[in-house]
Amino acid sequence: MIIDKEKCIGCERCHPYCPVGAIATVEWEGESVSEIDQEACVECGTCNERSSICPVQAIYMPELKWPRVIREHFSNPNASHPSTTTQGRGTEEMKTNDVTGRYPPGVAGVALEMGRPGIGTSFRDIQTVAVVLAGAGVAFEENNPVSALMDDIGAGTFQPEVLGEKVLSAILEFKISNDRLGEVLQAIKKVAARIDTVFSLDLISRVDGDGRIPVIPIAEAAGFNVRPNCKTNVGLGRPMFEEACK
Amino acid sequence: MTHSLHRHGKEKDLKEDFVLMFLLSKIIPQGTYDTMKQIWEILAGYEQDLVNYGNHHPNWGGGPLYRMEDLKKADNSRMIMAVFKDRKALTACLNELKERNLGISVLVSGLYNETGKTCAEIGLKPHTVNLSLGIHGNTGRLPGENQLEIQTMCGHAMVSSHLILHLIKEIEAGAVTCREAAEEMARMCDCGIFNTYRAEKILKRITASSHSR
Repeated sequence: MIIDKEKCIGCERCHPYCPVGAIATVEWEGESVSEIDQEACVECGTCNERSSICPVQAIYMPELKWPRVIREHFSNPNASHPSTTTQGRGTEEMKTNDVTGRYPPGVAGVALEMGRPGIGTSFRDIQTVAVVLAGAGVAFEENNPVSALMDDIGAGTFQPEVLGEKVLSAILEFKISNDRLGEVLQAIKKVAARIDTVFSLDLISRVDGDGRIPVIPIAEAAGFNVRPNCKTNVGLGRPMFEEACK
Repeated sequence: MTHSLHRHGKEKDLKEDFVLMFLLSKIIPQGTYDTMKQIWEILAGYEQDLVNYGNHHPNWGGGPLYRMEDLKKADNSRMIMAVFKDRKALTACLNELKERNLGISVLVSGLYNETGKTCAEIGLKPHTVNLSLGIHGNTGRLPGENQLEIQTMCGHAMVSSHLILHLIKEIEAGAVTCREAAEEMARMCDCGIFNTYRAEKILKRITASSHSR
């Protein structure tokens, strides 16, 4: 995002709206005006259309070129990813699992929401985590937009030109059998100490017929506290071909 | 998209925070945009119980991001999100969705025990869960718990921690009410999952010692 200094009246109304605190007042041609730190800006668009806070429409989105354009793809929830052609940082994950069966019994889904909540992340930090996970034998979800930026998905390495890019969030996503989940969670715990950002950690599981969630004791044994929050697929989905057969 | 999963707060507060979600699968077709219209018609019957809602196509430029009348006519709702503060209303809505048997996958994000009660009451069995294992890494960079409680209600982090602090100061200065501040924050959340009701309560708690209106 850019602030047109000719138009800016220095009111500073836009400053608090920036999720990464990238807007500051500078002196320019004898006037106090606002400026966006281009290194810190993640191109989320909040200072512009989302907040519509600028009284003189001085803020605008320039044409973003590769690789900077990935900042917008991973930071603006209203932007679509070229690799998936959909909004959102990840995939359908378990949201449609009652129809897709992506996570059968005995298979867990793990997602590391890099940069969340609200800190943001560089792709260098994402690579640090991805390389460790790849070393632990993880196969990343191919249809996730983060995977599309890797130059070697088996090694967890990214195209060199994206490493310096900073985004609000990006999701590393994979499936793992329940019997290997514990060791992978241990690897996650170790690599967490090596990064400059944060990540929110998700664990997906089928619910057993008796209501038991088999991954909970595995996560607890690996030293993770399972929070009371949860997203539940209540099992009302049905493929359309079943409709047609009625 | 796991943007509703990591809401912070005490369990008694999270009991007033349920996000009902629907998604048209691109992997295996299970419904159409017309089905999603039918869901909006059902949700409209619970409008008085809804704290917030949206379909990822917000109206920017000031004012409400979404209007129910517009959403009922929308032919582009691939995702639907609706926030309930009351489990009984959520249960009634979910029961209606079950009876209508629309075939779309339905998700409830909230306290698992509470969602489990709702499922049990209407004869549903949870199929798959996405659990929150918390925040890891350089957690020293996180804002304080009060800010986190509000910020995590927009999992895409469009509600800046700086904005939260700014609006708290505005409340303390008597420039805005807690309700107005919560609505301004909700305006940043494109998806419509920000719980404005809870945010107002949190802001009242934070500013209780000042002369908030």
